[in-house]
Amino acid sequence: MTAPNANERRVCWGARDQLWRCLDENKDDVSQCQKLQREFESSCPAQWVKYFSKRRDYLKYKEKIQTEGFEPLDSSAKS
Amino acid sequence: MLRTSGFSHFTKYCEYSSIRVLGCKRRGLLMNCGRLSGLNNNLSVAFSKSVFQSCSEAKSRVFSLPYSSGARHPVSDTVKHLGKNSLSYSFQNKRPYSEGSSKPTSTPLIKLRTRLIVTCLLGVGILGTWYYLHSEKEKKLQLQRIEQLKKVAIGQGDFNLVDHTGKPRTKKDFFGHWVMMYFGFTHCPDICPDELVKISNVVSILDEDKTLPPVQPIFISVDPERDDVEAMAKYVKDFHPRLLGLTGTPEQVKEAGKAYRVYYSTGPKDEDNDYIVDHTIIIYLLNPDGLFLDYYNRSKTEENIAESIKKHMKTYVKLFT
Repeated sequence: MTAPNANERRVCWGARDQLWRCLDENKDDVSQCQKLQREFESSCPAQWVKYFSKRRDYLKYKEKIQTEGFEPLDSSAKS
Repeated sequence: MLRTSGFSHFTKYCEYSSIRVLGCKRRGLLMNCGRLSGLNNNLSVAFSKSVFQSCSEAKSRVFSLPYSSGARHPVSDTVKHLGKNSLSYSFQNKRPYSEGSSKPTSTPLIKLRTRLIVTCLLGVGILGTWYYLHSEKEKKLQLQRIEQLKKVAIGQGDFNLVDHTGKPRTKKDFFGHWVMMYFGFTHCPDICPDELVKISNVVSILDEDKTLPPVQPIFISVDPERDDVEAMAKYVKDFHPRLLGLTGTPEQVKEAGKAYRVYYSTGPKDEDNDYIVDHTIIIYLLNPDGLFLDYYNRSKTEENIAESIKKHMKTYVKLFT
């Protein structure tokens, strides 16, 4: 399968941005944004959907660490 | 006369002019217009130069007068004269005047001007020296950095790849050109397109300056399994027209990646054999000798990068031509 071209990329990113905005407004409640979620999944290749979901989780986690602080892991604890 | 404040006023005609002036006499210091006006112990003096409103102005006028060379100073004359006549006035010891050579009334002015000029010259000299030293130091630092980079020996090896028109390319093909190199793959979700747009914009910014040599942007695929010549051609046309895509066999790409210390690792494949390739996100700058000079990561903006490249170009011209 060929890679998405510039236009297809743009459409995918737009859908992703809309979905993320909706999730931000609804405090990550996926049930409120079902329609946008479906749109996002249809606009982007499966790998990208997985990648962007992971990216969102990472960004949220990073934000959490930056605002709330974190507890360093115990050296004996397993990650 | 009254000596309440040390100053006393009186009016008198000046001998050298018919102006009626206010004269002024301060304790021990007499001002005159060239000659004493011949009185008995009530010495009066008048200033021939101008009419004074008050004694303090007279005093300040005395000290601001330019002293023409050759003429003897009126005040010192007075002092000498008074000394001879042994008058009852006490002289201020605060202002000792040496006979003849000192010019008390006009010395402060010259001193100040000379002082100012000397200070300014010194200041300019110091700034100039500092600037020269600073630029020499910067040049030295740049040379040092280039030596260090040579030691690191990134990109020393050659590469044998094929461009997006099917033409084989090696490193030598790019000698004589400044090169911006980026490793990525066409199935990249967002990072590679962003970085390639950034590179395109940097090249456009640098193109605007006609005095600078043109920069050659190069995109090398780390996903040779999928990114063949056709895929590369399709991909690069979305970016700067000069962007050159390079690909090859997996071995060739591996060799190029090793030379530039690029990390890349194919991710797990999903149902339709799609996968993401994890890789270092770095833009490399190569000089016309093919030497790796600098690198830019995701945090550098287009302006940062353009500025840095301009600086490198200037240094290159200075050092190697």
